[in-house]
Order: sequence, then C-alpha cells, then structure tokens
Amino acid sequence: MRSNRFNRTLMAAAAVSAFWAGSGQAAAESLTLYCSVQEEWCQAMVNAFTAETGIDVAMTRKSSGETFAQIQAESGNPKGDVWWGGTGDPHLQAAEEGLTEEYQSPRLAELQPWARQQAESSKSRTVGIYAGALGFVYNTEIVAEKKLPEPACWADLVKPEYKGEIQIANPNSSGTSYTALATLVQLLGEQPAFDYLAQLNANVNQYTKSGAAPATAAARGETAIGIVFMHDGVTQVVGGFPVKVVAPCEGTGYEIGSMSLIKGGPNPDAAKKWYDWALSPAAQEIGATANSFQVPSNTGAKTPPEAPSLDTVKLIDYDFAKYGSSDERKRLLGRWDSEIGSKN
Amino acid sequence: MTIAPKPGGVEFRNVSRRYGAVVAVDNVSFVVDPGTLVTLLGPSGCGKTTTLRMIAGLESASSGTIMIGGKDVTRLPATDRNVTMVFQSYALFPHMTVLENVGFGLEVSPLSRSEREARSSEGLRLVGLAGYEKRLPSELSGGQQQRVAVARALVLEPEVLLFDEPLSNLDAKLRRRMRDDIRDLQRSLGLTSVYVTHDQEEALAVSDRIIVMNRAVIAQEGSPRDLYQRPADRFVADFIGGANLIDGVVTGRDGPTATVRVGAMTLDVQAPGIATGDVVVAVRPQAIRVEPVASDATLEVTVRKATYLGSHMEYALDSAVGELFAVDQDVSRAVSTGSLAHVRFDPRGIALVGR
Amino acid sequence: MNRSHVLWLVAAWLGFAVLPWHVPSSRFAHEVPWPSGLMLSLTGAEPWLVPIALVLVLPAMALAAEGIGRANLLVASGCAGLVALLAQGFLVGLDGWAFAALDEAFGAVEGQAGLGLGALVTAFALLFLLTTGLAGRGAMKGDRFTTGAIGLVVSSILVFVFFPVAHILAGAATPDGDMSGMAAFVARLTAADIWSLACLAGEGRCGVAWTSVFVATLTGIVTTLLGLAFALVATRTNFPFKRALRLLTVLPIITPPFVIGLAVILLFGRNGTVTLALSDWFGLTSTRWIYGLPGILLTQALAFTPIAFLVMVGIVQGISPSMEEAAQTLRADRWRTFRRVTWPLLRPGLANAFLIGFIESLADFGNPLVLGGNYEVLSTKIFYAVVGAQHDPGRAAALAIVLLSLCIGAFMAQRLWLGRRSYTTMSGKGDAGLPAALPGWLKASIYAVALPWAAFTFLLYVLILFGGFVVNWGRDNSFTLRHYETGFGLAWGEHGLQWTGRAWNSLFTTLEIAAVSAPLTAGMGLLTAYLLVRQRFAGQGAFEFMTLLSFAIPGTVIGVSYILAYNEPPVELTGTAVILVLCFIFRNMPVSIRAGVAAMSQIDRSLDECALTLRSGSARTVRRVIIPLLRPAIVAALVYSFVRAITSVSAVIFLVSARHDLATSYIVGRVEAGDFGLAIAYSSVLIVLMGLGILFIQWIVGERRLSRRSSADLKPFKVTA
Repeated sequence: MRSNRFNRTLMAAAAVSAFWAGSGQAAAESLTLYCSVQEEWCQAMVNAFTAETGIDVAMTRKSSGETFAQIQAESGNPKGDVWWGGTGDPHLQAAEEGLTEEYQSPRLAELQPWARQQAESSKSRTVGIYAGALGFVYNTEIVAEKKLPEPACWADLVKPEYKGEIQIANPNSSGTSYTALATLVQLLGEQPAFDYLAQLNANVNQYTKSGAAPATAAARGETAIGIVFMHDGVTQVVGGFPVKVVAPCEGTGYEIGSMSLIKGGPNPDAAKKWYDWALSPAAQEIGATANSFQVPSNTGAKTPPEAPSLDTVKLIDYDFAKYGSSDERKRLLGRWDSEIGSKN
Repeated sequence: MTIAPKPGGVEFRNVSRRYGAVVAVDNVSFVVDPGTLVTLLGPSGCGKTTTLRMIAGLESASSGTIMIGGKDVTRLPATDRNVTMVFQSYALFPHMTVLENVGFGLEVSPLSRSEREARSSEGLRLVGLAGYEKRLPSELSGGQQQRVAVARALVLEPEVLLFDEPLSNLDAKLRRRMRDDIRDLQRSLGLTSVYVTHDQEEALAVSDRIIVMNRAVIAQEGSPRDLYQRPADRFVADFIGGANLIDGVVTGRDGPTATVRVGAMTLDVQAPGIATGDVVVAVRPQAIRVEPVASDATLEVTVRKATYLGSHMEYALDSAVGELFAVDQDVSRAVSTGSLAHVRFDPRGIALVGR
Repeated sequence: MNRSHVLWLVAAWLGFAVLPWHVPSSRFAHEVPWPSGLMLSLTGAEPWLVPIALVLVLPAMALAAEGIGRANLLVASGCAGLVALLAQGFLVGLDGWAFAALDEAFGAVEGQAGLGLGALVTAFALLFLLTTGLAGRGAMKGDRFTTGAIGLVVSSILVFVFFPVAHILAGAATPDGDMSGMAAFVARLTAADIWSLACLAGEGRCGVAWTSVFVATLTGIVTTLLGLAFALVATRTNFPFKRALRLLTVLPIITPPFVIGLAVILLFGRNGTVTLALSDWFGLTSTRWIYGLPGILLTQALAFTPIAFLVMVGIVQGISPSMEEAAQTLRADRWRTFRRVTWPLLRPGLANAFLIGFIESLADFGNPLVLGGNYEVLSTKIFYAVVGAQHDPGRAAALAIVLLSLCIGAFMAQRLWLGRRSYTTMSGKGDAGLPAALPGWLKASIYAVALPWAAFTFLLYVLILFGGFVVNWGRDNSFTLRHYETGFGLAWGEHGLQWTGRAWNSLFTTLEIAAVSAPLTAGMGLLTAYLLVRQRFAGQGAFEFMTLLSFAIPGTVIGVSYILAYNEPPVELTGTAVILVLCFIFRNMPVSIRAGVAAMSQIDRSLDECALTLRSGSARTVRRVIIPLLRPAIVAALVYSFVRAITSVSAVIFLVSARHDLATSYIVGRVEAGDFGLAIAYSSVLIVLMGLGILFIQWIVGERRLSRRSSADLKPFKVTA
C-alpha cells in the first residue's frame, strides 16, 4: 500500500517535472511562426519552407488581432520569431510600439511599390507580402429572387432597396471594417463619410465580429451583400457558392498583408531566412494553391487568375501611415462608436 | 493472542476550549485514575462531548494541559495518542467487512497480517461476535454494530477507551444489556474508560466516578452515591435522580443535623457543612409519602393528578410550597385525583443545597 | 514530525543543490557546469541565491532541537526561505534588477531566466517545512497532512488565481492618455456603453452590463423550467424512454462550443433548412430573426438545460415521498399536494438551477459570438476589447471587473439563499413511500414542453452528425468522407503509418492535456472539499471564497491574465503545455470542490474521526475511508474536468501555442474560415471521444466500488457549481 502510493506520487511528480523541463526547449534550428491568414495557407507555407530549408517550424494560427494582443503581452519575453500575414494595420501598430525588428530584406527591390511603401512608413519594421482590395460580395440567388439591382458603387449601398440586406464587420473588432471606414473617410472626406455611414446603417442587418464573416454569410444566403476584402469573396466563389465579387466604381481602399520580425525572438537567424524566403516569387505563389487569392507583392510572382487584379480595380491612394497610427485610429473608432455603433 | 491494555490515567489541568467568543469548556481540571470508568454527565451543550474529544485529540485545547498516562499530550494529534473511541453512530466503515473494520487500526502496527487477523478475531470473540468476520456492517443489527465498534477500539489495547453516548441508538432493553456488558469488559480488562452520557441512570449504573458538567464547567464530581445523596447545587440535585426543589431556611443545627423550615413544616436533615440561612431543599419524589392524617410534620396538598403504574403511584400535587411530584410505592393507599391529602417528607430522601 | 522534517529537508537541498534551478533558456548560457542553485550562488554567477542557501541551513540545524523550539525553527526557516525565493525572483528579472534603485545600490547584473525544476522542488519543500513546523506547534490539532494540504491549496490559489487576476485588474488602472491611473479606472468602470439605460427611453442601446444581465436572466429562467420539466418526466412519470432522455441531456455537456450555434444557423438562419421549408410551405418571408437575443437564448437553453436538469433531478429525488403521502392523508388532492408541498420543497433547487444558468450564460462566449448578431454581451465585448481593432486591454480589464462582480454577486446570492434553505430530506434511510402522482394537466404540460424539446435536441444532433458527411450542408448534400479525410487522414508512407490529417496534432494535444489535467483537477478539488467540509480553521470563509473566484472569472479574462502573469520570470510558462494544464486545473477545480463537498457532507463525520483515533493519520484516512466512499463524486469531478478541458475555448485561445494547439481553437479557426464541414466533423469526433472517456472513467473508478459494496448505485454525475 505504502509503496504503491509512493509510486503514484512519484509518477505524478515526474509528469509535472517533465512538462516543466520541457518548457522553453529549443531544437538546433527551429522557428516559431505566428500566422494570421487561413490555416490551409499557413500550413502550405510551413511545409514548403521546411522542405526547402530543413528548419523545423512551430506555427500558431490566430487572427491578426489575437496575434497582436499576444505579441504585446509577450513583449517582455517574446516567444515568437516571425509574424507572417494578416492585415497591415496591426503590423504598423506593432512597429509603432517597437514590438518588431527593423530588417531590410535583399529582396526588397523585387517588391511592388505598395509593399515597399509599407516598409518605408514603418521604418523597415514590416513589409507587404500581399494586397487585397476592399469590395462587395453579393449572393446572386437572393439578388435575383428579390429583384434587387446588382450593387456596383459605394453610393448604391445606401439605396432603400437594400434595407436589411447588407452586412459589414464592426470596425471596433475587425481590421477589415476599419479599412473600409478609413477608405470612406479618404474617398469622401470625414464628415460626408460619417453621413454616408449613418445612411448605410439603415441597410445593415448586422455588424459582425470578424471581418470575413460577411463573405461567409453572403455565400450561405444569410445576407444579400457583404462588404469584405475581395479575396475573401473569391474564396467563396471557388468554394462553389452563388456569389459574385464587385469592386466599387468610385474606387476602393486595400489592405497590405504584412510580415514582421518580432523583436527579441528566440531564433533571429531562422526568422530572417523565413523573411527572405517568404518574399520570393515561389513562396508567394503558394497562396493560390491553398484557396487564398490575394495579390502577391513580389513582382516576379504570378498573380492567380481568380484574384481580382489590382490593375482593373480603381485603388485610392491609401495613406497607411496616417490611418494606421494609433491616435487617428482611436479617434475614428471612437467617433464611429458614438455616432453609429451606439445607435442600434 | 490476548488483548491486554495497559491502562493509563487522564488528567486535565485548567483546560479550556473556546470557539471564537463561545466557551465550550471553561477551565476544567480533573483526574481519571487508571483502571476506572469515569462518566462525563450533563445536559446537551454542557461541554462533556468536547471534553471527551479533547482527550481523543479530535479537538485541541485552547489553553491548559492534558496528560495521558503521565505524558503531556496537549499538542499531540489524535493519531499519535494511545486512546481509542466508540462513537455514538458507531462509525463503522460501510465499505469494509467486520474483520477489516476491527483490523483497521492495526494496519499501521508492526504486526504481521496473520497476527492482525488473530488479534481482530480475539476482539470479536470478546464482544461475542465470533463468526461474523465476513459480514458487512449493513448486514448487522444495531447492537451487533455497537459491539463491532467496541471490538475495533479494544484491539489497539488503548491506554484509555472513550465512549461517546454509545447506547443512545439502542432500544431500552438492549441498552441495559450493553451497558452491563461494557462495564464487565472494562472491569475484566482493567481498562481506563471515559464515558459520556446524558442519561443519569446509565451514569449511575456504569461509573466508578461521575463528573457532572453544566455550562462548560464541572458542577460536581464524585461517586454515584455521593452525587445522589449530597448534590452540591440545585442543578446536580435535579439532574441526578430528579428532585422537588423547595425554598427553605436552616434555622439551627446540631452537629451534622440541620433543622430546616419548609413552609409550615420543620424537618431534621443530615446535612454537614450547610450553614444557617436560606437553602434549597431537594426532596426526591420517592421521599414524599402520602399520609391519611395531618400532623405538624405534614403538608396539606391537593392531588392534581394521580397515575397508577402497577408497581407504584405517581402524583402531581399542588401545595403551599409549590408543585410537587411524588412517587409512592404503596399502591394500596392510593388517593384519587381532586382529593385533599397530607404528605410527609422522609428526611433520608432530602438534600440541602445552598441557595 | 521527524520523518517529514527529514524528507522535506532532503527535498529542499535536492532542489537547491542538484536539480537545475532555472528553466532552460537560450538567453542565459551559463558557464557554470552544473547550473543548480547552489552552484550558481557559489560561483558568484547569481549572488542573489545566497540568502536561500543560508536559510536552508536552518532546518538542518533544527534537527538537533526538540519540541516547540524545533517547530518554531521550521516555521521560521520555511517563511524566510519562501520570502528569499520570491524576493530574488521578483527583484531580478530577465534584464537584471527590476528596479533602477537596485542597479545603483548593487551594480548592474545580467538577469536570470524563470524558475525551473530545482526552484519548484525547493519551493515545495520550504512550504512543507513551514506547514510541518506549524503542525508541530499544534496547528490543526497537530496534523501534518492537514496543514500541508491547506498550505498547498492556499499557495497554489495565490500563485495561479490571485497573481494573474491581480495583473489584469491592475490593467484597468493603467493611465490613459493624460488621465491618471485612478481617473482612467473610474472612467472605464463607469463608461456609458456599460451602464447606459438609453434603450428604456427608446433612444440608442442599453449598456452591455444590462443586456448581459437580461439575457442571463432569461436563460436562467428558461433552463430552470426546462430542467424541472425533464426532472419531473424522469422521476415522476412512467415515461418509457428515460434512459434515452438522460443520454440526451448529457450530450450538450460534451459538445464543443460553436457546434450547436452552427447547427442552429444551418436550420433557422435566413437560408436555413427549416426557414426555407417554412417559406416554401407557408410563403413566409425568410428573415434573420435568429441572430441576436433569440439565437443566444435558444443555443444557451440547448447548452445549459442539462445542467439545470442534473441539479433538479437531485432535488426532486431528494423530496421524501412520505411528505407527499402525509399531505395526501390530510385530504390534499394531487394539485394541492403539488402546490403546497412539492413545489415549496423544490424552491431551493429552482434557485440553485436558476443561478447556475445565470452564471453560465454570463460566462458563455461561443454562442453569442456565433449567433449574437448586433446583441452585445460582456464576454464577447471583453474578447474584442483585447483582440479587436481598438486593442484596449484597459477597457477589457474594466469590462472583466464588471463581469466578475456580476458572477461573484450571483454566487454570493446563491450561497446566501441555499445556506439557509435546504429542505431536502436526505436521511440515507430507505423511504418506503411512493412519490405522489402529478396532477393530470401538469403532467400533460411537462410532456408538452419536454418531449418536443428532447426531439429537437435529438434532431439537432442527428444533423450535426450528418453535417460532417456531406459536401456542403445546405448547398450540396451529397455524401462525402472528405472532411474526415482532411482532418483525420492516415497514410502508409515510407516510415510506416503517417498521421496526415490536419487535426491529429491538436487532437492528440487536447486528449493528452485533458487526461493530465482531469485527475489533477479532481484531486485538487476533492482535497479542497475535504478541507472545507472536514476541517475547521481560521479564515475558512475567505479560503472558500478564493476557491470559488476562479470559476467566476470568465475564460477570456483568465486567458489574458495568464499570458500577462506567466510570460516572464519568475514564473515563465507561456508556450508550454503546463500553462494549459494549470489553466484547466484552476478553472475547473470549483466544480470538483462542489461535487466533493456535496458527497462528503453525506458521509458521517465520525467515520474519519474514528479512523483518526485508530491511529490512522489524515492522509491514510482520506485514502482508506473517504475516497472509497466518494467514488460517485470522483467520477463527477473527473468527468467534468475532462470534458471541460476539451470543450473550453475562451480561456485557451490565448494560451495555445505552436506546439500545443487545442481542438477548440482549431475548430474556431475553421468556423472563421467558413469551413463548417471540417468543424462539424471534428466536433463529432470529439463528442464520441468524450463519451468514451466518460465510460472509461466510470469503469475505472466505479468498478472498484462495486467489488466492495453490494448495494452500489451509480448516481448520474451531478454538476453543481
């Protein structure tokens, strides 16, 4: 009896200590990656990188907001090396707060101008890896059934026919929707933009939590129109849902999916290897194989045919530095909350 | 294998037990001599069970010293004291057989398994339960469960064996038998025992000495005869044997004999150590005799209720000194409800208590 | 005292002189060949460890002392050692001294990594030396096991509940802009979007505190009534399929979050199966009515009714039939009996069930996330205050304080209420009476409520199962195994069997962590219950409150606070499996405590007192007497902690890491991506595995009891918060 209990205690102690000792262990060449795009894409990237370099990658997929919160919380003792993917604003914010490392990749010259601009405005603390324009996605079945006009412009969306048929994320929770807010402010001017949003509010059936949710909802017929990044709509088209993706006629804003090196991460060398590799044309073409149709930032990478080509979309000259800064963001979000968010 | 406990004494020196502001046991001192059975007697809430549990080590003393077998055990946990206890609820482990229950305490001893079983069987034989080893407690009657509990406490050969109201869950007939059995066992093994009960008759029957407790302190301590014949205060007088408590005045004394005036009556009572002045006269119900004629030693009463009980009569009487309760062995001279009568107090059934 | 004194003294020196003092860290590659605490202090690499070494001499010297003197020496050395250990941990961080003043006083130092195995062992040994000393001084009647257990529970709750929560609560008082800490704290706590009552006046929306309380109240009422109806069906009618009914009520407990929400969308959403059918048959316009309050209420009712049922069934069974028989002999008809006797006796159970529903609803995160629409509740609001575009941890902390106060308020109300009024008659004696039959119309109405609900739940689960096997539920209902292949594919490769499915990794981690944390949770919980029920000590009320606290803290808050607290030395746990295990232990422990308290209160106290007088120490008493009698509570505690470890999402979403990803966080990712097929397939697998896990636990724990006891009645596991 006695020895039995002793054995059990010992085993429990061994189990606990095994966990304890296991913490913080690092293999010879390894990398911890925080990935903020779709899990399939993350996985495909990791597999390709490991196959090419032999570096063991430990990957966590979380939304960009979650990842930013985590990097912030971990800043005293960073656990991650690279933050790859996700909309550019939190990357810029991380750069602003000094959570990420300056680095200039030798491949910088190969990149599209918008990707380089992202690096410049952050003093080389982040870089663009893909771009996606903001647009609408609508459910063709519902539009046909309800005999609604097909939306083509921002101005269309405030028409009374669309009452209760539009979905967009809440900018307080979603970076996508904040991009839309900032786009409208740049496109129309701040006061007219808020007037527009107040009108739009009458047509919105729900402010979702997550940015891509309106695309899913439109695909499943839960809403007629969603305001989302166009590539999220394309994913639904490819998935076989009856949806169509539209670029607004007045012009639209876009996100720059970004990548940053986490300051003080445990494996800085491997992190740089990933960074350079991820900017290479081959690596940037992986997205399309994993149902993600963003526009790659390397000029040498082929844009997937399904992707909404940025050449045909009228893009505004989005001021990432201004609208990515914490103060401006806080001010706009505060105004949105008091004028729109708290009214329904 | 025999069971031969080595009895040890118990001594309390100024022991108190407080729960916050409540004092459960207040500065209590007493001695239990080895080989004797001492009863802690008192109404519920008087502190007797707390005292017992302090001997066991289940409660710790807030202050004072507890000695067992000449050693200071005040800070020793229950496990390390050579004391065992029979619980009011028996506390048999429902998931163990009778033999496992009895042998439970021996498991930590250096005895081998077969020695343990032999000792347990001997314990069961002592309480008359040989042959019940494989039963589960739920398959025994109340009296048998009680015996298992005693056997389980005995086999550890404790210095002191404690009983916490051990008979309260048994019926009247079984209770009488068990109490005799316990007393026999205690005598034959020479055990030191401390026994808690609120039943004065049980206490008188089993004890060498009785400690009467009331409101956290010891009211009186002595042999059963002392307590019955010479109660120290009105509480003890009433609690042990029951008594009619009547106000009286000691008007004079002659050696050990005191002259007491109760109402119109004057009585001579053996009461050494009682000074003149106001006293409480405790009259046992059996000491009140119904007399056919009045005299200067009788009291006039009205019979409020007369109850015939075969061997004796019980009366509720109204008198000038208050209500009286009387038990008269003489059934043939019964008086009926509502009639006037006269009663005489037998001085041998009277005790005087200071007011 | 001697034996444990020597044991813990040896352990203390083992931890300090032999085991590695720190966790392995690439940042501090010491030249010290054997980085134990002793070596680090001797070589001068970490001079701040010297005080610990000095303190550790004390208990060795105490071996020579006797009695009280020795006990005092042990207490002193335990206290001093723990203080020295904590002080050096907090004063010397990763980058040297934590305070600039120390730099000036002692000169700059290099810094140190988090406490490791050696420090852990030493800390435990110091703690138990302290408690051994306290026992020697006569605390807890001199019982070393009890003092040790109290020390263990109190210190672990301090370290793993109070320490992290203090971190996040301090966050509510971080200065904001030009506002001072205090002003920011007040401003955040009194913000209009928390407390506004504008909706009553018909303009704008009400504060999120009110909306949360509103939905929680509704959920509490609905689940209580449904639970009561089911309990009456199960105990007071001759309904033929009671076993199936029980199974159905257990299912939602083992369902991962989101699944019910998804299924409800796919049925009642604007394009849902039911909605479309209704619009086809009756020409109704399909709307989005399900999003918002109705959706939250429906899914929460589905999820929490089983808990209300398990509470109510215990209460209904606990009503002694003789009381109802007595009422009937007093000329009361069936309705009068029910109204005057049965119903009043049910009331404490109803209050309990209501409060549990209320608290569960407040803390629920998954359902409002999926179906909330524009309806705001505190739990999602906290989440998005942390991860949303605003990134305002201060606001999240303020909201967390509000949610915490609401939960604790409800807990207090429950305890006050139930502390006074427990009418149930659990004498343990056989009651020969027969329960009174229900009044006819009452029976009809509980059938009318319970049976359609049961049918609905059943249908939902059939559909969930089905959803994993179709290409695209709602659009392409052709059969496929694709989702299962994606998630759980196997292949024969050159190295033998290959786990090619994408879900294997998180599934294995989940099962491993649940399997490790469940027994630890149950053990800690039952130990705490033992201390609460069987021991009396100063500060017990505060102690009990501490144990309840972690249950009342919403998962999101716990998750964030764990990251904040355990990312840096002295305790560095982020990114490990340990942090997940610890999170589960301290979040789920209160349920084990409740189960243990309930079961232990039914075991006569004199049983273990008797064992004590039979020279059996507390530890042996617990093992030989209490545990064998406690098997149903052990099953309940194990099952609950196992299931919760698998299904919880809000707490772990911040704690999962690359090497330790969990099933729920994977499922959340799939739901976000709109990949409902894989999410549902994965959930179905989890449901089946949890069901098997429960059977396994009952088999392991229950069987031993059967072999001993002929009249073993395996109770259904009882969840009481």
